[in-house]
Amino acid sequence: MRALIAAATGLALAFALVLAITAMGAPTGKTSPEPLLTTVPAHP
Amino acid sequence: MRRKASLILLALAVFFAALSPLLRWYAFPRLAKIPAGQYQDMVLEAKDATLLDYGTMRARKVPKVTIVQTLKGNVEESEKIEKTAGKDVVVWDGLSYVVGPDGKMVSRIPERYIFDAHTQEPVHATGETVDGDPVKRQGIEFKWPFLTEKRDYEYFDAQTRTSAPIHYKGTQDFRGVEVYYFEQTIPWTEVRFPKAMPVEGITPESVAKTGTTRWYTTVRKFWVEPLTGAPVYGEEIHKEELRGGTLLGDRDKVTAFAGHVKMREDYIDHTVDLVKSNRTLVLLMTSYLPWGFLVLGVLLLSLSLYLEARGRRPGDPKPAQDTEPEPVTA
Repeated sequence: MRALIAAATGLALAFALVLAITAMGAPTGKTSPEPLLTTVPAHP
Repeated sequence: MRRKASLILLALAVFFAALSPLLRWYAFPRLAKIPAGQYQDMVLEAKDATLLDYGTMRARKVPKVTIVQTLKGNVEESEKIEKTAGKDVVVWDGLSYVVGPDGKMVSRIPERYIFDAHTQEPVHATGETVDGDPVKRQGIEFKWPFLTEKRDYEYFDAQTRTSAPIHYKGTQDFRGVEVYYFEQTIPWTEVRFPKAMPVEGITPESVAKTGTTRWYTTVRKFWVEPLTGAPVYGEEIHKEELRGGTLLGDRDKVTAFAGHVKMREDYIDHTVDLVKSNRTLVLLMTSYLPWGFLVLGVLLLSLSLYLEARGRRPGDPKPAQDTEPEPVTA
């Protein structure tokens, strides 16, 4: 019974961690102030 | 004490073993996405190209024609569209600016490309345009989806405003990176004149009045890193002609542009380096961590079972009431 509880705890923690990470997601960021280029850049 | 340790190890074993598939098949598809605010530029060159001189209306050989392509993520627009689309959306405002050997503009085609940040599927919303004309894209443009497959994709052609298959032609090694090679041929097709013409006073409307039409064909080649879906190199064998009408005098057609367009060398190096680093991140999520967690889970489970077995081995002293001998009576 104690082994079952330990396994269930591990499983629940894995789900909680993955759900929390995916719920947070990545920051959207901001629109770059750089213009759309109309001259040939010298380098990348 | 040994019992307690084996239970903790068992919990950790299940934790890591469960994390492995969850990371690969649940977290990765949700976390892997194109950032909404990405900005990137690219320079392509066509050396020894043919270009139309609009002054004489004759084609001439030029040493180089340069195409500067910029893609800029519009975060404000993507947030607006996300509210109605109900998914992560990227809005790319792009500009293909073609520069002649004298540094003057040959053509400029702006476009807005709206797509799903995770799958690269097009999202149709107001503002989806090419050169100011509303379009409804099918398939992909500029970038392939994460975990690109060895199959044909629909690829949007901005000149014809239509989509056509881009064929998977095999796996190659490009500067140490395994890439999938794709190729698309657009046959001679009548296309619109760009809204911004290279000569002042000439407009698409004034050219249309002469009866002259613009035709285009291209062979588009992409070398795509399959994990990120990012092209590491691209080429185009591009031809444009003006046909018919009074603008050409007694000629049937004249070449407006012909050239083999290739990415500039410094941009190839930059792209390969960038893709290599992004590739490692994708590998971490799809391979290194899932396999590492699975192996760790198995090891922890083995250790847990070992400790449990040692705790129960026959040689160990048993509780006093079990070992006390039964009284013997004669």
